[in-house]
Amino acid sequence: MTKISPKTIAEAIYSATKGKSGNDLGLALKRSVKVLENKRMIGKSEEVLSALQKIIDKKEGIVRMKATTAHKIETTERKKLENEIKEKYKAQSVISEFFEKPELLGGIRVEVGEEILDATYKNKLRKLEKFLIREI
Amino acid sequence: MSNNIVENLRKEIEAFKADVQTEKVGHVMEVFDGIAKVSGLSDIKSSEMVTFPAGQVGVALNLEEDAVGVIILGDFSKIKEGDEVKATGKILEISVSDSILGRTVSAMGAPIDGKGAIKAAKTYPIEKVAPGVVTRQSVDQPVATGIKAIDAIIPVGRGQRELIIGDRQTGKTAIAIDAILNQKGQNMICVYVSIGQKDSKLRKLQARLEDGGAMAYTVIVSAGASEAAAMSYIAPYAGVSIAEYFMDQGKDVLIIYDDLSKHAVAYREISLLLRRPPGREAYPGDVFYLHSRLLERACRRNEKYGGGSITAFPIIETQAGDISAYIPTNVISITDGQIFLETDLFYKGIRPAVNVGSSVSRVGSSAQIKAMKKVAGTLKLDLAQFRELEAFSQFGSDLDESTKKQLERGKRSVEVLKQLQYAPVKTEHQVVTFYALTKGFMDDVPVAKIKEFETGLIEYTETHAKVFYKDIKETKMWTDKGEEQLKKAIGDFKASFAK
Repeated sequence: MTKISPKTIAEAIYSATKGKSGNDLGLALKRSVKVLENKRMIGKSEEVLSALQKIIDKKEGIVRMKATTAHKIETTERKKLENEIKEKYKAQSVISEFFEKPELLGGIRVEVGEEILDATYKNKLRKLEKFLIREI
Repeated sequence: MSNNIVENLRKEIEAFKADVQTEKVGHVMEVFDGIAKVSGLSDIKSSEMVTFPAGQVGVALNLEEDAVGVIILGDFSKIKEGDEVKATGKILEISVSDSILGRTVSAMGAPIDGKGAIKAAKTYPIEKVAPGVVTRQSVDQPVATGIKAIDAIIPVGRGQRELIIGDRQTGKTAIAIDAILNQKGQNMICVYVSIGQKDSKLRKLQARLEDGGAMAYTVIVSAGASEAAAMSYIAPYAGVSIAEYFMDQGKDVLIIYDDLSKHAVAYREISLLLRRPPGREAYPGDVFYLHSRLLERACRRNEKYGGGSITAFPIIETQAGDISAYIPTNVISITDGQIFLETDLFYKGIRPAVNVGSSVSRVGSSAQIKAMKKVAGTLKLDLAQFRELEAFSQFGSDLDESTKKQLERGKRSVEVLKQLQYAPVKTEHQVVTFYALTKGFMDDVPVAKIKEFETGLIEYTETHAKVFYKDIKETKMWTDKGEEQLKKAIGDFKASFAK
């Protein structure tokens, strides 16, 4: 029997629940759990959920962003960054998380899906180190 | 002095530009036995190089629906789950330059001989499509291996792929080393790729090449037995990339893969770990392509496309002489002939233990020089007939005169083809020996004294048949005058030898 991937299950759940609400939605979700149980995939529910999250985000134009800085950044700057990201990825909405990591020394690191923009001082210094010890 | 340092550092720092660009990254899901499963990296190409946080390099081999299977080239003990993996957008490549000659490098092109860094001139991708039909030329230049049995009976041409096959301890590597040693002054660059070999064997071999002055035109690429299977897998491709660098300069290159059985085993290991379906003998389905794409890169390129050639000597180790196993049959069908070495012959004292009956060269005869063709043309047939007669003659002693004569000639032929290790023989000397053999000059020399006769004959003719040697060197064939002189010299030497 062919193995079913979490992604396929997530796609099926999305199609089954799309546009539904109330009792219908509850029934569809119950059935989805039953399918997971029948296919012995309860143990992979985390992967199914994250795949489902990705599908929903994609369909609804949601972009998730993680920004890490050395110091706390102001709300206005946060808003500005969110708008930039919204424009770049042509998204309907941006869900952002902000973190602080003093070891980055300065600058900002932005993660959106698989893409990373690392403009931290730490990264710059690492690049400078590589540049100075390169073979000439 | 210190001012200078500060000034130089300032200049270096000023020259540094840190461009900020978005990078595609993935995350390590699991790491085991030199393999990493990575999530993300959705745009990655097959065989693309990736980097891990501690600087290790990996190659993406399996592109699955929601994960990428990466082989790790180097120490994987420091890679953790969740580590960031960056795609580089480049196919795996190694640094090459002229200064790589005389060096021993790893499968990644890094020096491992303790002689310092190698200044890189260029980088070459390790996977490349073999030269196409229009760029090629047929094989017509010989590779002189210095081994009589090969140069006379199984000649190899520049651009040919000749398999060396045999059981363990039959002298496969010895043939390859002799061939490298004999390339001195023959305008040939040699690349020796050691795959999964013991480091002690490699060290011995390196010392042997150094003693013979062969390291000046040789590069050794090594993926030792203690290294990960991934290194053994890429080593031959790295070796042929180095060979291509020299071929692109119009040079002739000889490359030895020692050995491809271990390469196939390393690839099997990687494939099984990557959960690819196993086929015959648990090798993956693409094990034929693994070797065919490697050996297809050996070629002779025509002048219009820059000339140069890569001659390949892949080595395959058989188990109990079974050449019909999976990997041996694959490589036999890919190559342009094989040199088959046998344990029985080896222990009978016939060394190199070449079985001339099972060995063939499909394209090499057109590359053989005319003089050699003339003296050694019938040798293979004569030897085959001798083997048949030898077996037959054991049943009875009543043999006719011509059969006896054939048997005696055969015994002498076998004796002439015996050769010590690390003692390659020059082509012109081989021609003289085979001339004396096939024209019957050795028929009345006792078999036990053949070696002594041969050595003496070469020494004598060098001073007494100069015209013959000059003819061979210049025109690759003798003139009537040269032949007369050689005949006389052999006759004179025989008379003095008999005394």
